[in-house]
Amino acid sequence: MKRYLLTAIGIGITGAYLFPLYWMYATALKDDAEIVQYPPTLVPQRPFWNVGEVFFGRHMPSYLWNSLVVAVGVTALVIVLGTGCAYVLGRARGRWVDALLFFVLMMQVLPSSLVVTPLFVGFNLAGLLGTPRLAVILAQTAKALPFYVVICRASFAGVPRDLEEAALVDGHSRLAAFFHIAVPLARNGILVAAVLVFLQSFGEYVFARSMISDDGLQTATVGLSAFLGPNTSDWHGIMTYSAIYVTPILIIFVLLQRRIVAGLTAGAIK
Amino acid sequence: MQITLDGLQKHYGTYHALKSIDLAVPAGQFVALVGPSGCGKSTLLRTIAGLEAISAGTLRIAGEDVTRRPPRQRDVAMVFQSYALYPHMTVAENMGYALKLRRLNRTDIARRTQVAAATLGLEALLGRYPRELSGGQRQRVAMGRAIVRDPKVFLFDEPLSNLDAALRVHMRGELRDLHDRLAATSVYVTHDQIEAMTMADHVVVMRAGRIEQQGRPLDLYDRPASRFVAGFIGSPAMNILPGTVDPSGRAARLDGAEGPLLSLPMLLEPGRPVLLGLRPEHLRLSQEGGARFDGVVDHIESTGSTTFVKLKVASQAMVMTLARRLDVTLGDPMQIGFDPADLHIFDRESEASLVTQRDAPPRAGRA
Amino acid sequence: MKISGQTSRPGRIAVSALPDPTASTMRLSVFDTFRDGRGLDALLVLLTLVYLIVFGLAPILYTVLMSLQQVDMFTLGDFSRPFVGFANYVDVLTRPEAGMVARHTLVFVALSVACQLVLGFALALFFQQDFPGAGIMRGLFLAAWIMPGLVVGGIWRWMLAGDNGVVNSLLAVTHLHPTKIFWMSDPATSLYAVTIANIWLGIPFNMLLLSVGLAAIPKDLYEAAQLDGAGPVERFRSITLPMMRATLGALVSLSVIFTLQQFDLFAGMTQGGPSNSSNVAQFWSWQLSFQTYDIAGGSTIAVLMIAVVIGVATLYVRSTRHEQIG
Repeated sequence: MKRYLLTAIGIGITGAYLFPLYWMYATALKDDAEIVQYPPTLVPQRPFWNVGEVFFGRHMPSYLWNSLVVAVGVTALVIVLGTGCAYVLGRARGRWVDALLFFVLMMQVLPSSLVVTPLFVGFNLAGLLGTPRLAVILAQTAKALPFYVVICRASFAGVPRDLEEAALVDGHSRLAAFFHIAVPLARNGILVAAVLVFLQSFGEYVFARSMISDDGLQTATVGLSAFLGPNTSDWHGIMTYSAIYVTPILIIFVLLQRRIVAGLTAGAIK
Repeated sequence: MQITLDGLQKHYGTYHALKSIDLAVPAGQFVALVGPSGCGKSTLLRTIAGLEAISAGTLRIAGEDVTRRPPRQRDVAMVFQSYALYPHMTVAENMGYALKLRRLNRTDIARRTQVAAATLGLEALLGRYPRELSGGQRQRVAMGRAIVRDPKVFLFDEPLSNLDAALRVHMRGELRDLHDRLAATSVYVTHDQIEAMTMADHVVVMRAGRIEQQGRPLDLYDRPASRFVAGFIGSPAMNILPGTVDPSGRAARLDGAEGPLLSLPMLLEPGRPVLLGLRPEHLRLSQEGGARFDGVVDHIESTGSTTFVKLKVASQAMVMTLARRLDVTLGDPMQIGFDPADLHIFDRESEASLVTQRDAPPRAGRA
Repeated sequence: MKISGQTSRPGRIAVSALPDPTASTMRLSVFDTFRDGRGLDALLVLLTLVYLIVFGLAPILYTVLMSLQQVDMFTLGDFSRPFVGFANYVDVLTRPEAGMVARHTLVFVALSVACQLVLGFALALFFQQDFPGAGIMRGLFLAAWIMPGLVVGGIWRWMLAGDNGVVNSLLAVTHLHPTKIFWMSDPATSLYAVTIANIWLGIPFNMLLLSVGLAAIPKDLYEAAQLDGAGPVERFRSITLPMMRATLGALVSLSVIFTLQQFDLFAGMTQGGPSNSSNVAQFWSWQLSFQTYDIAGGSTIAVLMIAVVIGVATLYVRSTRHEQIG
């Protein structure tokens, strides 16, 4: 009996915590008159769905496409560059491994808003700002790569070394053993890390805001920030925009929730 | 296929793991590498497999220099302590993996997997995943994965140490039987001297990166070249007590006040400090003549078939095993006898045996 | 294991001889080092290392360089710029808003970290209990953590809106604060508005790590303490807290780091205003560089803050090296 009481309290706490998400969806379903009502109605009285107008009126297809380009680019680059490093760091021991890990951690903690200044000036000199989405991909990859390496490393460290050695004796080269044995067995961690990198990059703001000037190449966050101007009052539109933008992210999260929690825990602890 | 190691060295940074190992394993032999943990036996096996790079020296398999070759170019099969079965593959896929990597066609792989599975009684398990198997079954699959390849050499890295005691004893016999049927060349690493003694044609005792002694199992038992081997081979371990050669040169006295006199099978310089070794099973209760000394019963244990008697002899501890029951109480005095030919004598300083050169008389019926 | 002459042995396994894979006598070539030797490790590590040096380390060094140079709209595209020594540092630190921004940063970090830790710990303890659905609910909290920061900023700005925000309405209904608070536009509350949103964002991560730490405490410790007569409060004080010390230490460092990375909430809620009343260092640095094009000033603050972040991160690494938790 006590356990069900705890469950009830738990649902209450979780519900209260996730109330902002509910409020986003609730506001997206209210019309302008209901929005300015005070005190606000907790449940939309005249549900009103306005996806099409916001979606096209606010150029969301272009914004979302650009966000997708950035997120896919970053994720692909991070997987190619980082998986091998995570593997080596999960396997090897020694002073230089510690030093490398320290370096990776230091790169992970740097705030984007601080490194964006030199990156902007440097990219400007290198002519990269002419292809601003590529510039954002390059910058965001530097931010996401350390995170990916740290999470994946724990996963590779969990693959018994014996299995790779058995593969060497069975006839694989080390490179082949990495691809055919280590990577398939660490795929859960790789998947989680890649998904998290994808979601982070899909919601990236600082780099896109600072480096992309052409509105046609802007990402969804920057589109939202334009919507969120200082004196905005179109909360219905903003919350609809947010809901359209966030719903796919939440769906991915709910689908992979269990693995994400496990992967994060392992990566953060080891 | 024979394996030849010439002056093999292995360094890990400043740590010298293998110090000039010379070893020749004739084709078809079963060789056991034994020693305490950290002695280098596993490292030696892994250098043969190619999993550890060789720092200096040469390694030949079937006459070919494979010192610098990666594992896949050595044609060796290995059974790991953890079995190292690929968790994402079925038993059949595990066993056939090496063949698949050699691009054999599917029917050949299936046929050979079948044959190997039949040999080990694994036919019913071919479709299962490793996580669905018991420890003993996994062990068999690991062996199956090795034999299906028909390799030049089999390497075993403590393959039985994760099994329970009864299964381990059973698998000892089965493994040796398999070796004979395949006419294979096997190198077997274990820390368990009984495994080495019961399975191997040739036992290599290692210590601190060197080969301490090698030879046929019973030769090591009968004529240990050093105090280390004497203490390592045989169970319970040999009693090794400090003593001093007495003025006659024909006997030695156990150190400690008024220690008993033990007659020596040879002449040694008087006053020389030595270590005297007597195996527990070579001691007996004695009234009649021959070499003997006095002790006091300190502790007694019986398994029913064997009685272990702990004795105090001149304030030093000794163990005696008897193949019968004994009705004594603690503190009882006891006369212990032994055959002088069974006495091992080691130099106190170098710990090398002083009697190994002597030809031991043939002893019948000793196991 | 050759077959000739021994085929008559009983029980012999008939397996055909294999093509000899060692037929070619190979030495390790350069190519093979990468396939089989240490070269593979080096290659795989270098991919990441080189990338992070070019796009991570080099920018930091470049910021340091720019903080010592005169960088403005005119010299932005030049490779060499005039050096000005520490003039930028003197300039930035003597600006009237510098002290205010530093104070805000401190308040923002201290308040965020403390509240995230306390609330995260309370939630971790609650969901540590054994009841149906505890694991799933704990996982759902992470939904907040995964959301784009800017969206979270937008939602909270709407919830904290002065005229018709749901938070004000809630405060009125519960009689906690009957009059409307203009969270974002009142300089007295704007920093706290962002802090509240940031606490909300940081709770799941704190809760997750603390849950892991709690799960690692052996249950028999509590049973032993119970037999010794310790009540729930005493058990928490004498077992939970000491056993969680390593986790708590690591978590505080990580929370400080994450809080210093927070940018999107400021962009989404207050833009650092009104009149810098909610501005913090990491946002100010960006504003200087990208809104007033004072790149030297932005770089100077970036250098100072990067030094702080790296200092905290070093503490974190040090603490986790001894304790295997973090």
